[in-house]
Amino acid sequence: MLIQIVNLTKTYTIDGNIETPALRGVDLAIEKGEFTAIAGPSGSGKTSLLNLIGALDKATSGSISYEDKDITRIGISQLALFRLKEIGFVFQAYNLINTLTAFENVEYVMLLQGIPLSIRRKKAQEILNRVGLGEYINRFPHQMSGGQQQRVAVARAIVAEPKVILADEPTANLDSKTAESLLDLMRQLNQEKGVTFIFSTHDKMVMDKAKRLINLHDGKVVK
Amino acid sequence: MFTFLKIAFRNIIRNRRRSLITISAVGFGLAALIFIWAFVDGAHIQMTENYTSLLSGHIQVHKKGFQAKEQLEINIPNPQGIVSGIESNPKVLAAALRIKAFGLAASAQNSSGVLILGVFPDKEIKVSSIAKRIKEGKFLESGKDNSIVIGRRLAENLNVVLDDKIVLMSQAFDGSIASAAFRIKGLLDTGVEEIDKGIAIISYKAAEDLFVMQDRASEIAIRLKSVNDSELVASQIGQALNSSDLEALPWQEISPILKQWIEFDNGFIWIIVLVVMIVVAIGILNTVLMGVLERRREFGILLALGTRRRQIIMTVAWESLFLGVFGTIIGLILGYFLSLYFGKTGINLTIFTQALNAFYVDAFVYPKVSLGHTIISTSLVLITSIIVSLYPAYHAANLKPVDAIRSI
Repeated sequence: MLIQIVNLTKTYTIDGNIETPALRGVDLAIEKGEFTAIAGPSGSGKTSLLNLIGALDKATSGSISYEDKDITRIGISQLALFRLKEIGFVFQAYNLINTLTAFENVEYVMLLQGIPLSIRRKKAQEILNRVGLGEYINRFPHQMSGGQQQRVAVARAIVAEPKVILADEPTANLDSKTAESLLDLMRQLNQEKGVTFIFSTHDKMVMDKAKRLINLHDGKVVK
Repeated sequence: MFTFLKIAFRNIIRNRRRSLITISAVGFGLAALIFIWAFVDGAHIQMTENYTSLLSGHIQVHKKGFQAKEQLEINIPNPQGIVSGIESNPKVLAAALRIKAFGLAASAQNSSGVLILGVFPDKEIKVSSIAKRIKEGKFLESGKDNSIVIGRRLAENLNVVLDDKIVLMSQAFDGSIASAAFRIKGLLDTGVEEIDKGIAIISYKAAEDLFVMQDRASEIAIRLKSVNDSELVASQIGQALNSSDLEALPWQEISPILKQWIEFDNGFIWIIVLVVMIVVAIGILNTVLMGVLERRREFGILLALGTRRRQIIMTVAWESLFLGVFGTIIGLILGYFLSLYFGKTGINLTIFTQALNAFYVDAFVYPKVSLGHTIISTSLVLITSIIVSLYPAYHAANLKPVDAIRSI
């Protein structure tokens, strides 16, 4: 088992006293190499669940075990290390670093991992070629289309070879053609490298392409 | 590290207008600091030079107690040998004997209390610039012992002009009444009130005869090649004198008020430094903090990708340092050339002439850039730019990734 989630809850406190539950006791197990979509309407808790799996946020209660290690109980620096080594993120709004070029964005995570320059350059070039952006390596995010930016985001997520890639509504801002090509790319990477993909989505195309579909409703897994 | 440098640098470029305003604020602040410090240093050099060259010299040798009482009884016996010894010091330009006593100058119409100074004209012109301050007539000449030079204000008070006769009266060293008549050879206008209305200069020989001071001197005035050596050479001369009766005083001890005024000025400069640093700090803090708040999302992404807190802090600090460095370069160039330009042309302060004369400052002040003060100013600006980045850096490093990414 790669990820084991037990009775996970997340409650947001708004204005100091209004409590809004986002997750109400989620139990879930994810195997290595899965290509899974978490579906559900807006406000169902998809993004909250993804943020907790990716150690971007703290759970209110419950546990998330990653390779049998409970990541809800580790410190901030270790969480940063966990994210760096184990997780790749693809966000809905691309979230590239605006001051870095496509190449530098892809190279960045490898730099944090301490990978030598020559290897970084080789891998960044390879992965950008792979996502069809070999000619755009020196472009800054604002010089690229949404689809191109999302491809860079996928390249950035995959290049450091994490075990899990969390993609929060990755196709939400893309047209259907670009979205399909991006999903095909991620599926290929999943099959070739065995990387586990977990999507949050309410896009039917993503649900259709996913090998496993988890439905979330009002903060609970319903199926 | 290079990537964090790159992010920091590109963020500065990204917000060109704001960065330029901050860099300009830092630059103008530093330029102002360099210029003000150069101005004050220039004024201090002028004050010291003017004061020491006017009459006092860089060092004076007296019998102990003379500085306080200025009485004929407190004198240096057989001074000629001492002068020769002093002049053998390689840092000494010239040394001149003087006889000093208080007395009364009287004309047919009026009388006034004066300081009577007996000098060797040939030596005196090497030690002081008093001869250059003659506005009417000439300075004393060797061998013409009945000539006298007095201040212009004194001449007005006595109602005398050039070539008129005045009588000097005092008490001689032996207790007898000293009295002699002199013809006015020149009138002094130093701009220093107390000198212009209260000094009478006669030849050393005339003073010796008047005060019965054969083979005795009141003081030895010394001019050095560099005023900066005053304290050092005074100490060397003091040791060489090898006498418990005699003392060698640098100008700082001859005129403690001047020294204190310079020290007060130097203290005041630090208040200006503090104000400039506050302006620089606010400028940089504003830019960096705004940049951090605007880029919460970006810092959230960096944190989400696994960037460590210290790396975030470093990125923000680099950004601040870049602003500081660019501002410093502009400030250094601007401040240096501004000081250099006015160092040549001088700053015209004619409207303050009367007030400035009291502090031995001329109507034109020539700023002088000091390497030490420039290094201090520059270092302070750079250190300030790093220190003020700590708060925004800490803020950025402690963002919760999920909240930061959500923010717009």
